[in-house]
Order: sequence, then C-alpha cells, then structure tokens
Amino acid sequence: MKVKVVSHILEANDRIATENRKLFNESGVYVINLMSAPGAGKTSLIEKTIQELSGKLKIGVIEGDIAGSDDARRIANLRIPVVQINTGGACHLDANMISEVLDDLILNELDILIIENVGNLVCPAEFKVGENMKVMLLSIAEGDDKPLKYPLMFQESSALVLNKIDLLPYTNASIEKIKKNSLSLNPKLKIFEVSCRTGEGIGKWVKWLQSLVK
Amino acid sequence: MHEVSIAQSLLQIAVDSCKKEGYKGIEIIKVKVGKASGIMPDALSFAFDAVKIGTIAEKATLTIDEIPVSGFCEGCKSSFTVEEAYVLSCPLCGNISIRVETGHELHVYEMDVF
Repeated sequence: MKVKVVSHILEANDRIATENRKLFNESGVYVINLMSAPGAGKTSLIEKTIQELSGKLKIGVIEGDIAGSDDARRIANLRIPVVQINTGGACHLDANMISEVLDDLILNELDILIIENVGNLVCPAEFKVGENMKVMLLSIAEGDDKPLKYPLMFQESSALVLNKIDLLPYTNASIEKIKKNSLSLNPKLKIFEVSCRTGEGIGKWVKWLQSLVK
Repeated sequence: MHEVSIAQSLLQIAVDSCKKEGYKGIEIIKVKVGKASGIMPDALSFAFDAVKIGTIAEKATLTIDEIPVSGFCEGCKSSFTVEEAYVLSCPLCGNISIRVETGHELHVYEMDVF
C-alpha cells in the first residue's frame, strides 16, 4: 500500500535550530556559524577577532572538531568562555550538538557567539544550527577554483573572508577570480580580504561585525 | 559522511509516520534528492542500508529520484536544465537574471507500507 508523505529530511534538525535561535534571540546574542576547509585559519580568525574586540564586545566560542581540544585551549588562553564539541567522526555540527552544550555558556553575558564548525567545505553548509549568519573562510593557498567546486558553501554564506592574503605573491591564485565566481553564486555575499598572520584587513572585518551586533 | 545523518533523519520520518498510521513495516521509501543539495545518492543508499537494521524498515529499499538543477531565465524567457550542481547564468543566452526552481530538494515523498 502506498502512503504519501511530504517531509523535508532535515526537518528535525531545522526544528532544533529554530529553538536554538529563539534562545539566542532571547539572550541577545548574535551567533555566527564559521565554516571552512581544515587549515584555512578559522581558529586564527577567531583569535584575531577576540583581540580586536577586547573590551568592546563580549565573545563566546563553541569549537567543533572531530577529536582533540587544541583549539579550545587556544581560545581559553584569551580568557574567553569556550566549549569544545568532539563529534567523534561526524563531519559537521548539527543543531542538536549545539543545543546540548548551551547550558555550559552563560548566553545572557555574551554579545557574540562564534561557532567554529568542523573543517570541511561540504557538509556544514547543509545543517543549520540556529545561527544568525554563516560565514565562510577561504584561504588563498587553497586555490581560486574552490567557489565552483563547492558552490553550496558560497551560496549559503552571508560573508566570505579570504585569509592568508600575505601569501598571494607565492601562489597562482587569482583573488579576482575567487571574488567574481563567489559573487556569481551569491550576489549578496560580503567579501573581506585578511591576513590573520599580519593582521591586514582584520579591522574592516571586525568593524562590520560590530555594526551587525549593535 | 553526512549522508549517515541524512539517512537517519529520513528513516526517522518514515518510521514515525508508519507507526502513527498503525502499519507494521515499510517496503519502499521514495525520496527526492536535488543535484544542488550536496547529497551523493550512492552514499545515501549505502548509509540507509546500514541504519535501517533493527527497525520496521529493515527490509525496505530506498528509491532516490535525482532532481536536476533547472530554472527560468528572465532575459530570454526560457526554461532551462543543467547537468552541473549549480548554475551561474542562463545556459541559453548567458543572462544572469535567472530563477533557480529545482535542484535543492531533499525530502521523503512516498512509502510502500504493509
């Protein structure tokens, strides 16, 4: 016997994401879901952002990794509330994983919560966690072909941060090509060029963040 | 391997609606998967066969309808369908004023139950 069911497969995840979002809104915290490939510099960008916003905005961080707690230690060194999630193999964070650790943070005391997703250019784009916006980080060294190879990530993000621009002279990557293809996929994408190593461009990025929160 | 999470979710949807209606088991679950959804049909089938064990869908087969990316161009007023997982401009006239209509699907739409 045939039965009609029309149900979105990610409905369960989206429902929990909506609950998380409600809690974030009630607590007055702006939530960023930060995504990139492994090694693009997510933790470095968070460190730089924390340093720039020190004394201006209160930041909390959730670190998502398959294993280990090195990243959480780096953030804790900056005296910032941080929770580490180890997915134990899963290639992305989902809404339920976030929901389970929210008790470990005092949301009312935060202005911004940055969720560092598992390093991966594919799966994190599909799972909402309750964020206000998704931000994608792409390092120049990964090559300028990435927007067209991983389109979903670029389409889902509100901002694209291009990191390691200090390496531009040593690569064949064309920053113009990255920008052109990213904007074709997502005309509303806000693009920032930074180097977390030299600090170049971080000011602009942080200023934009501040404008969103206040 | 996020196909495992997807397989678990779709199994949950199927099992829940089957139990709610009082059926004993599931023979076929039909899903639509858009090419732009980022899901690999082969990996989804593989994951489904692993997660269905021990449930009322244990003997169920998963039928996946892959939906291509298609849309409508405001420039040449034509409908188009592409092979790729994304579309940047109208494949017929090159205009970028396009409306993508299909390709992001990810849902269960029918089951055969007993």
